[in-house]
Amino acid sequence: YRDLHTFELQAPTRLIEWARGSRVCVAGYGQSDVNEILQLIPPPTLQTKETQGLCPERDFKVECGGFSKRPVYSLKYVPDTSLLVTSGPPDSSLQVWQVSAEDSDVIKSVSTIATENGTGQSWAKIATISTRAPWVLHGSRLDRVQITEVESRKNVYTAASRGSEELSGLAFLDCNTLLLCCTTGQLCLADVRQPQSPMEAVSVPLAPCSEQWCVGTRHGAQGLEPSSQLVARLSSRGLLILTDLRKTSESLASAKARVPSPGSGAEFLCVSWAPALEGCLAISGFDGTVHVYDTQSWDSSGKEAEPIFIHKGHAFGGAGGSGDPPVVTVHTWHLQKPRTLLSAASDGSLHVWDWVQPCGKC
Amino acid sequence: VFCCCAGAGQDVGRSCILVSIAGKNVMLDCGMHMGYNDDRRFPDFSYITQNGRLTDFLDCVIISHFHLDHCGALPYFSEMVGYDGPIYMTHPTKAICPILLEDYRKITVDKKGETNFFTSQMIKDCMKKVVAVHLHQTVQVDEELEIKAYYAGHVLGAAMFQIKVGCESVVYTGDYNMTPDRHLGAAWIDKCRPDLLISESTYATTIRDSKRCRERDFLKKVHETVERGGKVLIPVFALGRAQELCILLETFWERMNLKAPIYFSTGLTEKANHYYKLFITWTNQKIRKTFVQRNMFEFKHIKAFDRAFADNPGPMVVFATPGMLHAGQSLQIFRKWAGNEKNMVIMPGYCVQGTVGHKILSGQRKLEMEGRQILEVKMQVEYMSFSAHADAKGIMQLIRQAEPRNVLLVHGEAKKMEFLKQKIEQEFHVSCYMPANGETTTILTNPCIPVDISLGLLKRETAIGPLPDAKKPKLMHGTLLMKDNSFRLVSPEQALKELGLAEHQLRFTCRVHIQEPRKEHEAVLRVYNHLKGVLKDYSVQHLPDGSITVESILIQVTAHSEDQGTKVLLVSWTYQDEELGSYLTSLLKKGLPQSTP
Repeated sequence: YRDLHTFELQAPTRLIEWARGSRVCVAGYGQSDVNEILQLIPPPTLQTKETQGLCPERDFKVECGGFSKRPVYSLKYVPDTSLLVTSGPPDSSLQVWQVSAEDSDVIKSVSTIATENGTGQSWAKIATISTRAPWVLHGSRLDRVQITEVESRKNVYTAASRGSEELSGLAFLDCNTLLLCCTTGQLCLADVRQPQSPMEAVSVPLAPCSEQWCVGTRHGAQGLEPSSQLVARLSSRGLLILTDLRKTSESLASAKARVPSPGSGAEFLCVSWAPALEGCLAISGFDGTVHVYDTQSWDSSGKEAEPIFIHKGHAFGGAGGSGDPPVVTVHTWHLQKPRTLLSAASDGSLHVWDWVQPCGKC
Repeated sequence: VFCCCAGAGQDVGRSCILVSIAGKNVMLDCGMHMGYNDDRRFPDFSYITQNGRLTDFLDCVIISHFHLDHCGALPYFSEMVGYDGPIYMTHPTKAICPILLEDYRKITVDKKGETNFFTSQMIKDCMKKVVAVHLHQTVQVDEELEIKAYYAGHVLGAAMFQIKVGCESVVYTGDYNMTPDRHLGAAWIDKCRPDLLISESTYATTIRDSKRCRERDFLKKVHETVERGGKVLIPVFALGRAQELCILLETFWERMNLKAPIYFSTGLTEKANHYYKLFITWTNQKIRKTFVQRNMFEFKHIKAFDRAFADNPGPMVVFATPGMLHAGQSLQIFRKWAGNEKNMVIMPGYCVQGTVGHKILSGQRKLEMEGRQILEVKMQVEYMSFSAHADAKGIMQLIRQAEPRNVLLVHGEAKKMEFLKQKIEQEFHVSCYMPANGETTTILTNPCIPVDISLGLLKRETAIGPLPDAKKPKLMHGTLLMKDNSFRLVSPEQALKELGLAEHQLRFTCRVHIQEPRKEHEAVLRVYNHLKGVLKDYSVQHLPDGSITVESILIQVTAHSEDQGTKVLLVSWTYQDEELGSYLTSLLKKGLPQSTP
């Protein structure tokens, strides 16, 4: 490590979202009816490019917070607004919140975007964009995907789909193109301008077993370079498939991560691309570790890959031996500092770490 | 309970809170704001009383710990403004306060040349008014007011105070810490259920970096400097975090088998050791897992410093006073070592404006010393804070321990405490207040007033009805007598007797008109038979004089003066039979059934 900071949240989080001004947002996902949404100001060590060892302020500050009656499984800020959207069980409705940090430190609940509740509906996955207007893309299943205008709560687009598989993730590739990933691993693309035509299934993993899949795209719809067409899928057995969305007929590369088996379920599976390191991605959700891989040397053989770094901090959490060992619930990359990541685990720990490239390549 | 912040409030500088509880007035802390150079550094005592004497108005003053932002204005308050009443604080605080006050006085007056400041004699006179207290010892300030100190962690001798008048109480936390560290335990309080808990909230919005990371980084810096042959200067206050850092370094040196010498400034060692030995029970309070058996202030690797050592070649670490590099030994050493970039100075805490410590932390690297000499600072300047305050989690823990009915937060920033306020209100269902400086908060309490119940009444009431059940409340009737400052619950008869009052009888009568053309005595029979048939469980009687009784209720039938077809039933009952009387009346109003003979 170049640096490692450990923090303890009062309640564990399964999301870490970046907001304007280097803010970071976390939220509780417990089954009780009081879960906190916290918008944090990271310590100055994280805000500057250079890492300082000793610093007067090494702590996160809670800038503002809100109280959610339901567990918060997903949270997305709506760009160019002071709003954010959350989702969580027991249904696929969304909650809209207002953040006005200058006036008060309370994040207020503003409205609810209701959705029709079919049977077996779990929680909605969400993505936001504000290119044309503040929109939220949401849905829990392939046949329930829609875009709603956040302020008016008007439905702007409903996707047509033949299937009804459960979704594990969705994203705006640009203001017109949607990427959807099912828990079966199937990827679909849809065009917002053509709501009538059903979405295009672009890639299904070979020999799908009972494993579950999640997806990682390069960060947000802001960076629209060709490399943002690169998508990674991670399965609960540790399989990683990289796909170029311009050439979906075959996978670009694949590998197998060394993960404990049987995996602890797919609830916290997370894969993400490094915003500032070409070809680097991180995975977590199998145990108390976060693996970082350099995919540039991968081919399509699917053989086992060696991580270039493993963060083990959560496994050695200070909580001691009582109960199950903690599982990393989410991780995310720092947007400017190339090798800094934030990770959270089921015991409430929040780590900020900066790793050293092992073999000289910087 | 009235609570007014003359300092603290939303101001992180100085603490001074006034509480008025059941007619008693208590001042909590009397701190100085370290950032101001004029009268703004002292709390505004005119809030207390405009023209009355403070000694008459205040029942006592309580000081929570020896930090200057809690006791710095005490000599000014007692000797220059004027207060002769008792001042309470713990034994360690009483021992250490005067040292810090004198130290600060020296800088302010001697170095800065200020005139409107308290003198050494004033500090001494002020301390003569101090009454020292032990932990968990109930101290009677007067017949009605009592106080009790609880362990607060934070620094040696810091305490939280419970102030009680009758059954109303307030707990003031001062500065506290809910996690133990290497030489102090964590704050602890019992389930005393005060009407109000006044808690500091300086770090309420902070999620702190773990102590391990802080310590690791500190040790890394020290180690790196020493490894390259540099010298590390750590300016510290006589007492406080210095002991914590010494234990940390000693442990590290032992583990890593390091040879570079560590020194502790002369005078400092003896004084510190003396006080810690004197108050050793204060360091071991409630330390559960980290109970230290040996005398942890006898170090193997840390030795007493001699001025000459500063010129020795090679690496070393030196703890020297005073903490802000404003005078004395630490400043001397700093001047010797500042020019070498291999050396390092680590500032362990807040530095007041105007001190060298403050200047170098602000980035200044060319300092003007006495005689216009310029000192170039090439040594590394680092800052680290190991202060021990409670964060949001700690505050919630304390509230959970004490179970107050109301919470008041001081020492934070109002706008940024709305979230914490809601959090506290939601989780504990109590009211949470965040007053500004000078603002008075009124808290309504529901005092419990003890009442004696007469044995006879108790026996009588428990004999009636179902057996007493611990889980079910039982309704009892009695009369509350308030006489001669006592409250008693007695039977009504007893009360009447004691008060010399006669019992009044209330009797109700009601006239019910019914359609009944038959003669009077036939009507009477009809009514009698009707009632006997309906009221099978009651005693219904037809008396020789023509009236009917149902239990003790009397019914008489007379003809209507003008209308032969109507009969008037006169129903009469006492207050005790109200229920039955009302029932009878409604029953009779319905008229007689046709079929009754």
